[in-house]
Amino acid sequence: MKALLILFATAIIVLFAGLSHKRQRMLPLALGGVLVALGVTLSDLLMGDSTGWNDMYSSMFLFDNYALAFGAVALLTTALIFGLSGWGFRQLSETLGDNYGLLLFSICGALVMFSFTNVIMLFLGIEILSIPLYVLAGSRRDDLASNEAALKYFLMGSFATGILLFGITLVYGCCGTFDLQGIASAVQSGRATGPMFHAGVLLIVAGLSFKVSAVPFHFWAPDVYTGSPNMVTAFMATVVKTAAFAAFYRLFSTAFVDLSAVWGVAIAGIAALTMTLANTTALFQQDFKRMMAYSSISHAGYLLLAILVAGKTGAANAILLYTLAYSIATVCAFAVYMTVAEQNGDGSFSAFNGLSKKDPLLAAVMAISILSLAGIPPTVGFFGKYFLFTAAFEAYPWLIVLAVINSAISIYYYFKVIIAMYFTSDENAYTVTVPAAFRWVMLAGVLLIGLLTVSPDSILGLIR
Amino acid sequence: MSLYLILIPFISSLFLLLARPAASRSIALAASLANLAITLFALAGFNGDGSFNHEFSVPWVSGAGIHFRLGMDGISMLMVLLSNLLAPLIILSSDGEKYRPEARYFGLLLMMLGALNGVFMALDGLLFYVFYELALIPIYFICAIWGGDNRIRVTMKFFIYTFVGSLFMLVALIYMYLQTPGTHSFLWEDLVNVQLSSSAAWWVAVAFFLAFAVKMPVFPFHTWQPDTYTTAPTGGTMLLAGIMLKMGTYGVIRWMVPLAPESLHDLAPIFIGLAVFGIVYASIIAIKQSDLKRLIAYSSIAHVGLIAAGIFAWNKLGVQGSLIQMLNHGINVVGLFYVVELLERRLGTRSLSEMGGIAKNAPLFATLFMVIMLGAVAVPLTNGFPGEFLLLNGVWNFNPWLGAIAGLTIIFGAVYMLRAYGLVMFGPANEATAQFEDLNTRELVVLGAVALMVVAFGFFPQWILNITDGSVNRILGAVQF
Repeated sequence: MKALLILFATAIIVLFAGLSHKRQRMLPLALGGVLVALGVTLSDLLMGDSTGWNDMYSSMFLFDNYALAFGAVALLTTALIFGLSGWGFRQLSETLGDNYGLLLFSICGALVMFSFTNVIMLFLGIEILSIPLYVLAGSRRDDLASNEAALKYFLMGSFATGILLFGITLVYGCCGTFDLQGIASAVQSGRATGPMFHAGVLLIVAGLSFKVSAVPFHFWAPDVYTGSPNMVTAFMATVVKTAAFAAFYRLFSTAFVDLSAVWGVAIAGIAALTMTLANTTALFQQDFKRMMAYSSISHAGYLLLAILVAGKTGAANAILLYTLAYSIATVCAFAVYMTVAEQNGDGSFSAFNGLSKKDPLLAAVMAISILSLAGIPPTVGFFGKYFLFTAAFEAYPWLIVLAVINSAISIYYYFKVIIAMYFTSDENAYTVTVPAAFRWVMLAGVLLIGLLTVSPDSILGLIR
Repeated sequence: MSLYLILIPFISSLFLLLARPAASRSIALAASLANLAITLFALAGFNGDGSFNHEFSVPWVSGAGIHFRLGMDGISMLMVLLSNLLAPLIILSSDGEKYRPEARYFGLLLMMLGALNGVFMALDGLLFYVFYELALIPIYFICAIWGGDNRIRVTMKFFIYTFVGSLFMLVALIYMYLQTPGTHSFLWEDLVNVQLSSSAAWWVAVAFFLAFAVKMPVFPFHTWQPDTYTTAPTGGTMLLAGIMLKMGTYGVIRWMVPLAPESLHDLAPIFIGLAVFGIVYASIIAIKQSDLKRLIAYSSIAHVGLIAAGIFAWNKLGVQGSLIQMLNHGINVVGLFYVVELLERRLGTRSLSEMGGIAKNAPLFATLFMVIMLGAVAVPLTNGFPGEFLLLNGVWNFNPWLGAIAGLTIIFGAVYMLRAYGLVMFGPANEATAQFEDLNTRELVVLGAVALMVVAFGFFPQWILNITDGSVNRILGAVQF
């Protein structure tokens, strides 16, 4: 709760500070707010909350360990992304304050999605998260692709929210409550049953599948990822994905945990489709950002494995470790991509040719991130996959075999970058200069990947 | 002590990769010699009764029963000896001109050494898997950065083959892990104690076999091997053939058979059949090769086929023979690939048809090559002989027919190696070979050391057999199928 208030206040201050056009003050203000919120969240998570602020608004929020741990992941990722924004937002002048403000509002929505104990709060969280992003996706106003991205994102997003809301309505009609525990007890007592209730649950699955960009509800993702400004794409691929999955899991591990007979087959099918289709499509991409879009869809497929065993010991921690590893690696990969692509005007794989000779450290950061995304041991990405797969192994062995095969397929496209950087000779005339802030973000990211590799244990005990 | 064998290479590897110092070869050599010294020290005070020496264990993911646990019985000790004995030779033999930037090459090589030591010492299933995959990353980079034509396509095939193979192993390991009692554990003893139903054991054994058969490689999973060995730079080929393929054979002895013995009564004959078929198949192809490097690559498939057959026979002679042969094949194949490298360096070709008459100009080279070649052919009193003798004996005891067919390897081996030696050394010299220079000091040190080991281990095989004797007795006593 405290983090939410801090962020909301920071967002409003940044928005008004934007009017004064003092651009060098904007970043310290926004980043400072995020870091303070991160510090407060971590201290609540590790030392416990003594103020009683974490349970407010008639218990429609509950900032339990689950909410705090995911909040810390999202805030850490946002801090890393803000670290890139000094250079990433260099072309913005008038709208700089708006951009920071919207990003901060969006993360407020993410925090709500981690902590809801009421379905209405979930809905509000999703809206608070999404509406600023519709604007941000189109923030390059004179760029046609950016406009297209905003329109697609908005249309698809509101469509998905409509479906979600319809599902919530049906569920409410059967249970008479929006409260997660209330729904769970209605299910247990057998009050909530019948086709209408099941249709409601499946509509909620569909709505959330839109949000996590799972196949067949993924069509918006590649275009929106490609068209949006790089900073916004990095945010969507990491924080938004984490938020959507944390909310998905929170809902299904409390309200619908005893209903897996209804949604199990549906989600298993969606997971299988998502992994397979995303990985095979990613093979054919020539553009790095578009590849990352499909890669993020495929990661959604793996993460759905944990939803399938919602409520099982270790499943929540597996999602936490996975999203953390995935977010850090994705931010690092985007940092390298932005340095190369924005200076060179070319976002295809060939832009990376010979990078290991031009800047060995930059190439090393990308290589480590890619290895972690591909889940190759001993990187933390491997441990993320390992704990997801182990959690779902006994219930869905066939799905795990499929996931393993998909992990192998993903090597083909992930390694295109490594092949370009290390094994392809350099025919690009351009030079790469890495902004100082980027170096710090990359250093922090690689150190975090290293630390988590040595001790995944430190994350796995956080949610009890 | 076992921890140092991993930490020294990893830390010096990171230093070389990040700081990129000019004297990278000397640093790498010093690190590998330090490792060799530790290995010899560990060997000096070694307890060979089959228990694990120098154990080091800390919980890695405590809630999930994953441990960072290392330790060496005789089998591991021998493999650690192999990798640390060969590493300084490989570093010394690497031509600095060819590997630019040098620090990156030696850094990757040391990372590889650390991972290999980890594979041979890991006593936790997941740790074994992590090291097994970690070893793949540096060798992939070495082959793809400094390799020859088509290196990107060839190394990608190699990577995917081995990665997919070991993913099956991962699934099998997770399955075994979930069968362990209580909160589950990956410790070797706990996994060994799991009793599987015969159908589950069948799946587990096949999954392990896929991982290890690709790595060795055993027919029909060998198709990546000749291309990769030929395309890789010589240092990479030495690592692949000398040490890395032993990860597969070691894995069978340490993990596959003890974990899933329930099904091997039915499966072992099939695996031995594949291995023996591979021996004959690869030998015949080797006879027809004109590229010397490719010839040795195929000969390696034949040799490792015999090793695999000996292991699956699962009797004292077979397993002891496979272990001594793993060490000696590693030594011989590194020597042979170095010979190819020297020829290519001087003549610019590996084609046998463009060689001949070198013996006259380079007597030292010719002599040392001959010693190593005789070792590869398994002539008595060279290091190849005791291993092949024990292996053939072991396979014969399993099934005389298979033993007889596997015995063809001696005849075929003599044919292709002597043919190659004759084409390189004798006959008329051409323009290039007439100018052939004999070995310089560094080349002499490397090739001389290999030849010395060929003779020494040929005269005193008991040295090596004693290291593994207790462990083999114990593992054969505990696991029968």
